[in-house]
Amino acid sequence: MEQHFTRDIESLDAIFSYLGERTVSLDLDDGTTFAVKMAVEELFTNMVKYNRDGRADILIDVRREADDVTIVMVDADSEPFDITSLSDVDTNAPLHERRPGGLGIHLVRCLMDEVSYEYKNRRTSIRLVKHIS
Amino acid sequence: MLQIEKGSDQIVLAGRFDATQVDAASVVFGQVEETITVRFEGLDYISSAGLSVLLHTQQRLSRKGHGLRLAGMSPHVRLIFDYAGLDSVFQIE
Repeated sequence: MEQHFTRDIESLDAIFSYLGERTVSLDLDDGTTFAVKMAVEELFTNMVKYNRDGRADILIDVRREADDVTIVMVDADSEPFDITSLSDVDTNAPLHERRPGGLGIHLVRCLMDEVSYEYKNRRTSIRLVKHIS
Repeated sequence: MLQIEKGSDQIVLAGRFDATQVDAASVVFGQVEETITVRFEGLDYISSAGLSVLLHTQQRLSRKGHGLRLAGMSPHVRLIFDYAGLDSVFQIE
């Protein structure tokens, strides 16, 4: 079920291993599996990048109920960073104006059907839902 | 894990292009000075970290009139380029 990961980019290998096992056991199709992996990597790397001093490990949980896949990620020692309030990335900008910043969260929004954010007492909780078509 | 093979006229990617692979990939793409084809047939996954390496390379090459040609993407990878609006800044075959 849920698993905790050290706040380090190098944890991604272990995270992909966990997600590989979970997506198989939940019988997710290739497209949904791709979306789950991308959403978790993008959010995890943001948690590491923007909260390097946090001491808590990061919790990841992936569950399925009928045709909904729910991802929950919790950082229990964090500063507020509301991913649902970020401005949209201009995906029509010319090449020389393109910047990668914000692209990851943009992709999460595109890939997931629901994105919610909670912050209380230094605890960030992000919940994503994808409807399996 | 990402595998990168660079030849004279193409770069072949395989595996998973995630945030842990940015430094190694940047070294390879940093050596590209002219238009080159990047083959995606073996690439299972790419995140925004991988896209940023390709984007930086494209921006650098475009200033010299060159660019990356991207070929052989899986439908899942292609969808990410579409969502990111990168289908308009790369030549995708």
